Formats: sequence, C-alpha cells, structure tokens
Amino acid sequence: MNVWLNRFRTFDWRNTWPKVVAAVPVIIFLLIPVFTQGEIVLNMLILSGIWAVAALGFTLILRTGQFSLGQAAFMAIGGYTSAILSVVLGWPWWVAFLLSGIVSGIVAMGIGAVVLRVGGIYFSIITLSLTEVIRIIAQQWEPVTHGSRGLIANPPPNIDLGPLHINFMANSIPFYYLTLLLVIITGLVFWRVGKTRMGGTFFAMAANQTLAEHEGIHLMKYRVIAFTLAGVFTGFAGAIYANYLTVISPLIFGLWQSIQIMMMSIVGGMSSLVAGPIIGSTVLYVLGIQLAQLPIYGISQLLYGAVVVLVLIFLPKGTGLIDLWPRIWRKIYKEVEDYEIPGEARQED
Amino acid sequence: MRKWHGITAVLVILATVLGLVASACAGGGEKAAPPVATGPVIYKMGCPTPLSGPAAPWGQAGHDFYQKWIELFNQAGGFKVGDTTYNVTYTEVDDENTPEGGAAAAKQLIFGDGCQAIVAYWSWGMPAVQAVTTPAKVLLLTRTGNEAVPQSEGGIYDPQKYPYTVFANPSHEQIISDFKAIAKAYPGRIIGIEDSTLGKGAGWDVVDKTLDAAGIKYHHEWYTPAATDYTPYITKFKEAGCGVIYNAGDIGAAFDTAKQRWDMGYKDIICGVAGPCVDPAVYNEVVGYDASQGFIDQYFGIWDYKETKIDPAIMAMAKQVNDDVAKDTGAPVVYTGWIGWMPSHMLILTQAMTKAGSTDPDAIMKAIQGGTFSTTTGTYTMSGAKTYGSPIVFGTPGALSQIKGDKEVYLSESPWTPLP
Amino acid sequence: MPPAGIWIDALVQSSTYITMAFGMVLVFSILGILNWAHGQYYMLGAVVVFYGVTAAGVPFPISMLITGLIIAGLGMLVKKVLIDRVSGDLYVGAVTLALIFFLEGLASMLFGMQDKGLANVMPGNMDLGSFSVSYQKIAVVSFTLVVMIAMYIVLNRTKVGLSIRAAAQEPRAASLYGVRVDRVSLIVMGIGCALAAWAGCIMAPVYAINPFIGRIPMIFSLLAIVIGGLGSLSGAIIGGLILGFLNSVMTYYISYYSEVVLFVLVIILLLVRPQGLFGAALK
Repeated sequence: MNVWLNRFRTFDWRNTWPKVVAAVPVIIFLLIPVFTQGEIVLNMLILSGIWAVAALGFTLILRTGQFSLGQAAFMAIGGYTSAILSVVLGWPWWVAFLLSGIVSGIVAMGIGAVVLRVGGIYFSIITLSLTEVIRIIAQQWEPVTHGSRGLIANPPPNIDLGPLHINFMANSIPFYYLTLLLVIITGLVFWRVGKTRMGGTFFAMAANQTLAEHEGIHLMKYRVIAFTLAGVFTGFAGAIYANYLTVISPLIFGLWQSIQIMMMSIVGGMSSLVAGPIIGSTVLYVLGIQLAQLPIYGISQLLYGAVVVLVLIFLPKGTGLIDLWPRIWRKIYKEVEDYEIPGEARQED
Repeated sequence: MRKWHGITAVLVILATVLGLVASACAGGGEKAAPPVATGPVIYKMGCPTPLSGPAAPWGQAGHDFYQKWIELFNQAGGFKVGDTTYNVTYTEVDDENTPEGGAAAAKQLIFGDGCQAIVAYWSWGMPAVQAVTTPAKVLLLTRTGNEAVPQSEGGIYDPQKYPYTVFANPSHEQIISDFKAIAKAYPGRIIGIEDSTLGKGAGWDVVDKTLDAAGIKYHHEWYTPAATDYTPYITKFKEAGCGVIYNAGDIGAAFDTAKQRWDMGYKDIICGVAGPCVDPAVYNEVVGYDASQGFIDQYFGIWDYKETKIDPAIMAMAKQVNDDVAKDTGAPVVYTGWIGWMPSHMLILTQAMTKAGSTDPDAIMKAIQGGTFSTTTGTYTMSGAKTYGSPIVFGTPGALSQIKGDKEVYLSESPWTPLP
Repeated sequence: MPPAGIWIDALVQSSTYITMAFGMVLVFSILGILNWAHGQYYMLGAVVVFYGVTAAGVPFPISMLITGLIIAGLGMLVKKVLIDRVSGDLYVGAVTLALIFFLEGLASMLFGMQDKGLANVMPGNMDLGSFSVSYQKIAVVSFTLVVMIAMYIVLNRTKVGLSIRAAAQEPRAASLYGVRVDRVSLIVMGIGCALAAWAGCIMAPVYAINPFIGRIPMIFSLLAIVIGGLGSLSGAIIGGLILGFLNSVMTYYISYYSEVVLFVLVIILLLVRPQGLFGAALK
C-alpha cells in the first residue's frame, strides 16, 4: 500500500491536477454512450463535435494572422467529395471518406497558395466570395450535386469486429465515436503543431507580421501549411456531417455558417489552439439548440447574439471562455497554498 | 509524467471499449411495448417547419389554426382504432428551412417527442427527412415536388427504398391544375413561370410536358434565391409576350414582382403565386393598393368551391376553426391556406388507422393503398400503381382566388387530374 | 443594348449600394473595422420608418429624418457600450457579427417576421413612353444625390468634416492638433448608421419589410466598397455604380449566373489589386 502511494509521490501533483481534471471531460465524453443512448443528446454532441473541428481549423488559420470567412466552403467540399464519390461513382465508403479530407486539403492548398498573399480584411472578403462561389456551383451543377434538393449520402458499411457488430444506421453511437475520434485526432495534431517550432512561428506571425518577416520567417509557407491543415480536417468534418445527417445541400454551407464557426472559435478563446474552439463550439451549439426551444419567435437569435457579445465584453484580451480555466486554478491554488503554477500560459493547450 | 500518459491511455481504451459494447448492446435492444391506457390514447404527430429565418412566416402562419383544429377534432371524439379511442397532438420543430435542419428536426420529433408520424411537411428537404423517418418506421406525409419525381422519370425518388412516404399534397398536379385554371380565367395569355434556382429540377420537365399536351403556352425564368430586384426578369417576361407571371411558391418574390411590374408600367400583366393568400391587407400594404388588384393566389376557402365535392362536416369544422381563431385573436381571419395542409394529412392518416384497425405503419400503408379518403380538399381514391409506383399521391384541386379591393375572391378552379 | 428600364433599375440599385457603402467606408476609415451589422441598421431604418408612418402617423419625410436620428443614436450607443469595451479589430468584428443575430432577433420579436410594406407612400408612376418609372424610385435616386452632396459639404466645408478627415488620415497626429479622436469616431459611427438607416427608409416603399432584409444589401455594399477600394469615399460611389449596373445588366443577359460572375470578378480584382480601384494603401 505504502509503496503504491510512494510511487504517486514522485508525481508533480500541482502540475498534474489541472491535467487530470482536463482529462476528465475526455473520459466522460468517451463514456457518454454508457450513460445515455438518447438520440437527442448524441445528436447534439455529434454536431457540436463537427463544428468543433471546423472551429479548430479556423483558430489555426487565425494563429497565422489570417481571418478566414470560408471555412464552411471546405466543409462543403469535404461533404460533397465523400457523397459524390460514394453515391455517384460508387466507390467504397471509407475510401471516399479518406479522400474527402485529402481533396479538401488539396483545394485549400491550391486556393491558399494564390489567395494567402493578400492579407487582412481582403483575405476575409476573398474567402467569403469563394464560399459563395462554391455554394452557387453546388447549387447549379445539377447532374452531380442534385442542386439544392441535396445529395443523399450512402451510410457507411457495417463493420464486423468479432463479437462487435457496428451498424451505422441502427443508432448514432458509431457516428458519435467517429466524430469523437476526429475531434481527438484533430486536437492532438494541432496540439503537436502548437508545441513545435512551427507553433511558435504561427504565434510570432500573429503577434507581429512585419517583425516575423524580418526575422526570416517565410510567411506564405506557414500560412499555406496552416490553411491546408485546417482544410484537411474541416473536410473530414464536412464528410461526417453529410453522412450523419444523410444529406448534403448547398444551403447549409454559406456565409452564415462561416460566421458561426468564427464566433465559436472566438467565444471559446484563441489563446488556446485546441481547448478553446472545442469549448466554444460545444457551448454555442448546445446553447443555440436549447434557445431554439423557447416559445417566442426570434428570442433565440436575440439571446444568442447577446451571449456572444457578453462573453466578448467580460472576457476581453482575446481569451474567450478558455480564459476561465487558469483563473479557476489560480484561485484554487491561492486557497490551498500560495503557489504559482509553473508554465501557466501553456497549461490551457 | 510517463505514468500519467500510461494511465490516460488505459482509461481512454477502457472507456472506448465500454462505449462500443454499449452500442453493440443497444443495437439489439427492443422498443418497449406501448402502455395500455383506459382514457383516449394520444397519437403524436409532428412537423419540421421553418420557425426562424426569412421563411419563418410560412411556418408560423398555420400554427394557431392547426392547434384549434386538433382541439375540435379531439372534442368531436378523436378517432377510433378497433375499440380504442385515440386523440391527436401536433408538435412543430424549427427546421431552419434547410434539408439538414429538416433531418435534425425529424430526429428531435421522433426520438425526443415520440411522434409516431410526421405530417404536413411542405419544405423541400423531403429526401433528408425521409432518410430519418424510414429507418425509424415513422410515416411521412408530405407534398410532391422535384424531390418526388421517381428515378424512372429522371428524378431521385426511389419508391422501393422509402415505403413509408405518402404524398398527401401533389404539388405538380396542383400547379398544373393552377395553370389550367389560369388558362380558364385568362384564355390565350402566355403564362410566365417564375421560380428561384432552388426549384429547378426534374419536376418542371413533368409539368412542361403536361402543359405542352394541354396546349398552354408558357415561358420560364429562374431567379437567384433571395433576390429583391426582379426588373430584369420582368423585362424578359415582357419580351416573351407573357400576360401572366405566376411564381412557383415564393410569396416574397411574388410581391416584389407584382410591385415592380407595376412600377415599370406593365399594368396589363397579371401576377400570382402558387401559395395561399395570407391576408389581402398585406398585399395592399406591400405591393401597393392598385398594383395588388387582380393578384392570383391558391385558394383553400373550400366553401366556395364549385367543382370539387367536400364533406360538409369537414367544411363546417374548418369554418368553425376560422371563427374560433378570429375570436381568440380579436381580428377577422381571412387566411385559408391552412385548410389544405395539416388537416387534410391528419384526416388521411386517422381514417387509414381506423380502417386498418391498427397504428402499425405497415398496416396503415396497406390501408392507404387503394383506400378512399375524405379530406379537406375533396374525396380521393388512390391506387398507388397509377401514379408513382408504391407511394400514394392524394389529390388537391387547383383553385384560385384573386385580390379585389381588400378582399380575396374566388376566381376559377380546375379539378384534380392525376399525372399519367 | 438592354432596354432603358434596365438602366433605370440599375441606377436605383446603385443608389442603395452607394448610400450603404458610404456609411460603411466612413466607419471603416475611422474605426478601422468593418461594421458587419451595417445591413441590420438598414433593416431597423425600414422598420422604424414603417411604424413612424403607420402607427404614429408622421408624414414620411419627417419620420425618415427622425428614424435617421434614432438609428444614429443606437449606433453611438453600440459604439460606446459595446465596441469601446472590446479591444482588437478581430473582437470588434466579432461583436458586430454577433449584433447581426441580436438585432434580427430583436426585430423578429418586436416586429414579427411577416412581410410589411409602405407601398402606398408616394404611389404613382411617371410615364416615359414605352416604360414608366415610379415616383418611389425617383425619390431613391434623388435622395442619394442629396446625401452625396450633403456628405461632400460636411466633409469638405465644415470643421467636423476636417477633423473626421484628419482622424481618418493620422489619428495620433490629429489628436496632437486638438482633435478629440474618440468623439470624432463616435460621430462617424452615428453618421454611418444614420446613412444605413436612411437607405433602409428610402427603400421601404420599394421593397417588402421584414427582419431579414438587411443581409443582401450588406453583402452588396461590402462588394461595392471592395471594388471601389476600402477606405476610399469616392471609391464607394464608383464601386456602387459599377456593382449596380453590372448586376442589373448581367442579370438581364445571363439571369441567375450573374451572381457567380460578380463574386469571381471581386476575387480576381482583390488578387490583382487588393486596394480596389481607388483604394489607398493597405491600412
């Protein structure tokens, strides 16, 4: 018994506790299907997960100092790629799914290489216009996309893993894990990126473009890398979205969705590359769903706007909801013992 | 630190396995049997409908009337299945007027609110909604449209794949009847058909073919959705020699078209929309008093119908609803569009359940196939084989009204004829 | 050559874009932010003037004037209460985006989502042979002219205008010379919102009014100022004219494809010449 406890003593608890607590939500999310299999809860979590991936991509691009209003377009590209390949061309579902992210990434790289040299507000407007162009193409290219009536996606094939039969059509749980997997992989990749030299470079670019350029940082290169990475994962998110809702249509991927993604990212807090967007998108998506149940017409939009404005006012300096995290820990440690958390700035990643 | 990673990894794997096992168990789980009650059993119906965004007025317009109709229907004894008396409830969930929203709302209705049937769904997200309702074995009563054109005629609808979809409002047949009614009222005029690019699709090929066969001349123009400036389109209609511009269902666009053709001086062109008239006062206000005169709408004031026979009891109930709503809101009610939708769908469904003696979807579908049903828009006997294969299409007459002063008056009517 | 009706229609369209774009550019050049909720001030303008005319019975021109003042006050309030408390262009942009939802929700709650209209204000047409023009559309064009002239006078002949231009050019230097930049920016926000509201007012008799009418004019005026050049006032006028004429004429020839062409043109223009046709250097 003592030996067991002693082992734990070698732990740096102060550093570990916040991480343990941070890991708890991950475990809880993994276990959710054990507690509840209600379609409503799972539906809400799956969709917030999908938007979370899109918001993660947006945050990564924002880190390089670019403000993209075209993230919904990459969701559309991913969704349409997966649906067209599997339905119209009859390719295997998983191949189509993998290609959806790759195609979206390639498109992002191509567009990024041309468009990213324009900076600031002009970049936002170009991406906005691109979203509209892609939406109109999806709407008008009837023979392939079925226009605005939407393309019905094929369900993924059943998987037999010994005793486990995973049937994607029976309930939402397989999709729940697929989405969670995507969120975790995206989170891990972006977290690694943030930890490496490249992450530091992104920070430098966001902080001061001119200085970064003078330091010898090739702005274009890193911007294209960030844009492509975001494109790949946003494409996957779009593919899951299309397949989960069984349909993809041009109307859902427009300017308003890009704006939603942006608000999720900013409300969550961009000081953190991973946790912020996830928290932001979950909170805002669930909030939106709950508000929509209110019986007064229009009140949901009003409250949604109000909440976002209030978060921006009361959590200033670009921190968003994620800023509450170190604040809480500081408070706890102040009470337990006057201890300053080492590396606090990095903790929330 | 290493240990920490190890523990996390173990926990994550454990949780995943637990979740997967749970999912595997859930797949084999059976639904609980419905509880046996002594009083009237509640049969829940629901509808995804736009309640927010620019299309919201459409979703909101019918709300009070539907609730009042349900109330009267239940007061009159509901409906009987075998010896059990059933009462009806009707829930609406916002679908944001998108196919995805429709699918999400249908999920909420079926799994959250426990609805046993989706009725009166009129948006164009039908494929998405039926992809949710069919695996859940929930009946979907909707309208035809581009989405409902079967694959054999160049559409996307597969009757074999979606056996629980009933087309209780035939939009194509209705709009064709509308054109015939227009041709009756304004013979010899070329009809300009105005629709947004959202409405483009195989459905119009079917309509065009029928119009060609009937010898009605027409001209198509497509506008971008949410456009406000229709001057270029009106100019092109004028150049094509159109005497009527009939919009395929977008009231806002029809308003703007009617107003702008008046501004341009084309006063001889009659405008109209394939939708019910909400309130003539709104037309006068938005389009302008002079410009709104002669505006054509679909008409559901069934008591004025001349060529379609409707059960007098149903007619009386519809009138009663309008009177009651007028009493509640304290203003005279002129809206009749609701009559053709939810009440009609509900009547078909409840009569089918009485006939089938069961609330099982398969039994209901069997009863609907080839059965005769008395709806708010007439009595129809439908054999599915004649129309779209297995899905069943009910009838709606093309009845039109026109704005005269600040009143809506009956214009003309063309009884329903099924498509070949 | 398209018929004359199309050209007149194009002029009317341009007029709205110009009034909207002018306010947007003004706000951008002083505050350095795009006011994404600009279209919602347009919508509120139409809504308020509707109630002014129908509920309060105030004659249209007077209620238009009052509406402009009310919305200007609202814009200043938003600036003072919300925008000033948030630092950083990004977050200010996010606040104005959130305001879109807030204002549309507010209008939906108070005003209802049904279409309403003022079509019976200034009814009648002027007959010009083969076609005619409504007095409402003539009012739109002449009002825009008046606004442009008034703005020219305010910016070039008054002290306020001088300080606005100074603050736009070099805020720090301007403050050294005694210009109170925060007050100037408040005034500019008021003027910008009032211009949007007036655009909404003057268009209220032409189109139906509902809580969502602000979205399209917002996008189009954004495109107009992008074509003309962000931060350039004359660019806003020329951008608005180009956009209005291009859109109407193209719609006449290629109907719904005009939208794609428009967006592609904007993308190409921004890639080739990001500062727009008349823009100054990047801000």
